[in-house]
Amino acid sequence: MTQANSAEGTVFDIGYQKYTGPREGRNRARLSVFKDGVRTSLGFGRGARAKVLPWFFIGVLVAIALVMALVAGAAKGLGSPEDVAQLNLPSHSDYYGIASIIFFVFAAVGAPELLCPDRRDGVINLYLVRPLTGSDYIAARWCAFFMVMLAVAWLPQIILAIGLTMGDPEPAGYFRDNWLDIPRFLAAGVPLAAYTTTLALVTAAFTTRRAYASVFLVGLFVITTPFTTGLAMEIGGTAGQWISMFNLSNIPVHVNDLIFGDVSEITSVAPAAELSAWILVGWYLLWTLVPAGILWIRYRRLTP
Amino acid sequence: MNSVYTLTLRQLSGRWRLVIMSVLASLPVLMAVILVRSVRAPSVEEFELVVLNAMLAGSVSPLVVLAVASVAFANEIEDRTLANLTLSPIPRWQIVVPKLLAAVTVSGPFIAISAFLTSYVAFNGDMTATVAVTLSAFVGVALYSSAFVWLGLVTTRAIGFGLLYVVLWEGYFSGFVSGVRFLSIRYHSIALMRGFDTRRFVATDDISFGFAIGASVVVFVGFLLLSVRRLRRMDVP
Amino acid sequence: MDTLPAVDPVTTNGVAPVIVVDRVSRWFGSVVAVSDVTFDIAPGITGLLGPNGAGKTTLLRMITGLADVSAGSVTVFGQPVRDNPPLYGRMGVMSEHETVYGFLKGRDFVRLMGRLRGVTDLDAAVDRAIGLVDLADAAHRPMGTYSRGMRQRMRLAAMLVHDPEILILDEPLNGADPRQRVHFQILLRQLAAEGRTIVLSSHILEEVEQLADTVLLIVNGKLAASGGFRAIRAALDERPYHVLVVSDSPRKLAAAVIQLDSVDAVNVDPDGTIVVLSRNVRDLQIELPRLAQSASISLRRVEPLDDSLESVFGYLAER
Repeated sequence: MTQANSAEGTVFDIGYQKYTGPREGRNRARLSVFKDGVRTSLGFGRGARAKVLPWFFIGVLVAIALVMALVAGAAKGLGSPEDVAQLNLPSHSDYYGIASIIFFVFAAVGAPELLCPDRRDGVINLYLVRPLTGSDYIAARWCAFFMVMLAVAWLPQIILAIGLTMGDPEPAGYFRDNWLDIPRFLAAGVPLAAYTTTLALVTAAFTTRRAYASVFLVGLFVITTPFTTGLAMEIGGTAGQWISMFNLSNIPVHVNDLIFGDVSEITSVAPAAELSAWILVGWYLLWTLVPAGILWIRYRRLTP
Repeated sequence: MNSVYTLTLRQLSGRWRLVIMSVLASLPVLMAVILVRSVRAPSVEEFELVVLNAMLAGSVSPLVVLAVASVAFANEIEDRTLANLTLSPIPRWQIVVPKLLAAVTVSGPFIAISAFLTSYVAFNGDMTATVAVTLSAFVGVALYSSAFVWLGLVTTRAIGFGLLYVVLWEGYFSGFVSGVRFLSIRYHSIALMRGFDTRRFVATDDISFGFAIGASVVVFVGFLLLSVRRLRRMDVP
Repeated sequence: MDTLPAVDPVTTNGVAPVIVVDRVSRWFGSVVAVSDVTFDIAPGITGLLGPNGAGKTTLLRMITGLADVSAGSVTVFGQPVRDNPPLYGRMGVMSEHETVYGFLKGRDFVRLMGRLRGVTDLDAAVDRAIGLVDLADAAHRPMGTYSRGMRQRMRLAAMLVHDPEILILDEPLNGADPRQRVHFQILLRQLAAEGRTIVLSSHILEEVEQLADTVLLIVNGKLAASGGFRAIRAALDERPYHVLVVSDSPRKLAAAVIQLDSVDAVNVDPDGTIVVLSRNVRDLQIELPRLAQSASISLRRVEPLDDSLESVFGYLAER
C-alpha cells in the first residue's frame, strides 16, 4: 500500500494504469466524427429499426433505376431500333431529374440526424472539448453526409448502366457507344450530392428538433416545384425563366444537363433551361456556396 | 380532457412553427392570385389539378399537418413526459382524443383559410365552390391529423415515414396509379370537394362522393382507434 | 443463485400485501432485465436496492403498469395493474427522469396533475401538496427556471396532490442536497405512518438503510434477498462476520483468539488492529473478553465491521 499522506488519508495502489499508448490528435478526431456521420446516416451500429428508413429510400432509388432498365430492355427487345430511338427512353441523363425529389427527402430526413441530436442533448460540447473545433466538426459531418449522398446517387446509376448494357440485344456494342455516360453520371452526381448535403445541413443547423428541419426542407422542395413551374409557365418570357430558376429541385439538374449536354425530361419543361450555361452554373454555385458559408459561420464559433 | 387539450395546444404552438405554417399555407393563395391575373387563365380542371389537388391537398396540407400532428405524441415520448398523462385514472381515449383535436385546432385554421382564400380568388367569390373547397380541405386536415397522430405514437421516426408517405404515396403514386387513390387521403378530400359542388367540379369515375364520405369516416375513426390501442399496449417511457 | 427465504419482514403484521409480484420476468430481445422475481409489498416503506443496471427501474415500471411483463403478473390491490387506469387514482409515481413541462408554472403543473387524477377540491389539494414540499414561493414561476432540486420537489408535490395510497419512487434523491434529503425522509416517514405503501428504489445504500423497513435486493435482474437488512445479514451465515478488535497486545491476542471454536480466522493489520472472522458472534462476544482477561490484555475497541447494508450488498453483488 502506498501512503500519500499518512496523517490524513491513504491512497491505495489497486493497479490503475494510465494510458501510455500513442495519442492521436486532431485528424483522428475529425476522422471519428466523419465515420460516425456515415454510420448514423446509414443506420449502422444502431439496431435494425434505424436502418429501415435510409435503406428504404435507397431501395426506392434503385427500384426506379431498375424499372428504367427493364423498360428500356423490353422496348429494345420488342421494337426495332428506329422505334426505340423515337421513344426517347429515359436514360442516365434523366435519372437525377426523375429521382431528385427522393434524394431531397432522403437528405431532409437524414441530415438533421447528424446535427440536431448533438446540439439538443448537449453532446456537441463533448466533441468540442476534444482537439476539435466547430469548423472541424461541421466539415467532418458535411464530408460524411456528402459521401453518403454521393454513394446513394451513384449506386442506382451504376445499376442502371449494368441493366441497360445487359438488356441491350448487343451489350458490347451498347457499351462501346455509351460508355461516356459513366464518367458523366459520376460527375453529375457530385453537384447533386453537394447541393443536397449543404442545404439539408444548413437547415438542420438552425433548429434542435429534427422534425422541424425535415418538414421545412421537404416543404421547401416539394412546394416550390409546382409553384414555380406553374407560375413560370403562366408568366412566360424572361421573368418566367427566372421564376423557374427558383425551382429548387431543378437547380442541380440543370448542371446535370450541362454535363450530359442534353436537356433531361424533367428540365425540358422548365423555362430556366433556356438560360445560358454560365447563369445556370453560377446560380447553382450561389445556392451551394452561400449556404455552405452560412453553415461554416454558424459552427465555426461554437465553443464548449 | 380539457386539460390535455389545452396542454397540447400550448405544446404545439411554437412561434417558428406558426410562421412556417403561415408561409406554406399562403403559397396556394399566391398561386391563385397570380393565375387569375394571368393572360392565359387555366381551366377549372387544370386549376383543380395543379393548385387544389397537387399543391393544397397533396403537399401543403399534409406537410403542415405532419409538422403538428406527428409531434403531438412524439415530443412527449422524446421528452419522457407522456407518463404524466398515462398515469391518470382516465380511459386512454380521453388522452388521444384531446391530442388529436388540439392538432386539428392548430393546423386546421391555416389550411382552411388558405383553401378559402385560394378558391375565393380563383372562383371569383363563388361561395358554393369556396365552401366546398374549404370544407373538404378541413376534412383532409382531420384525416391527416388522425393518421399522423398515430404515426407519432408508433415510431420515433414519424417524420421520416410521414414524409415518405406524403412524397411517395400521396405525391408520386396516387398521381399515376389509380388504384392507390382509393387509399389516398388526398384523393378522398378531392372527391369530397367534387361532391360538395358538383356544378363546378366534374366528378370523375375515380372515387364517388359516397365512397369518399365512408372512407373518411373509416380513416379518421380507424386511426383514432389504432392510437388508443397503441397507447394501451405500449411501454410508456 | 437461489433467492433467500424472506426473513422476518418487519412491517407485515398480518396485513394483506398491497402489491403482489408473481414470477415476473422481462426481457428485451435477448437481454433479460428481470428474471423470475416474486415478492409482496405491504404498507410501510420498502426499499428496492441494487446496483445500476440491476433491473430496479424495469421492475418499478412493471409495478406501475408503464411497462408490460414478459412473464408473470403484477397485481395491485388484487387487480392487474396493466391496462387498468382506475388504479392510478390510488397510485402516485415519480420516475427517475425529469419529466416536467418546462413552460408550465409549478403551481399549474401540480394543478394539471391533480385535475388529471380527479382531485375534487383542487385548490386546497394543490396548496397542501406544495406546502408539503415547501415550494410555495416558487410555485408561480415556470418550471424551466427551477433548479434541479426544486423540480424534484415539485414533482413530488404533483405525485402527492391526489393523496395516493401507494407511492412509487425511482431514485427520488438523485441530486438532492443534504437538507432536502432530511426533509424528504421526514416526509416519507410521515406518509408511511399514515398507512401508505411506499416503494423506493435506490443504488445509494444509506438512503435505503435509513428509510426502509423492508429491503428488496435486486442483483442482475434477480431478487437476491428480501427482508430487514439485519435479518438478511443473519441469514447469510455462510459468510463470517468481521469484528475489529483494538488491543494493547494484538499478536498475543490473535494467537489466543485463533484457538476459539467460534473463530474462523484472524487478520493482523500492520497498524496493530486485528480483525476476527467469526460465524458465531454470539459466542465470540462472551469468549473474547474472558480470553483477554485471562491473558491480561486490555481491549480498547471491539466493533463489528459489516453490520451495514453495504457489506451485505457488496457480498451479494460479488456472488
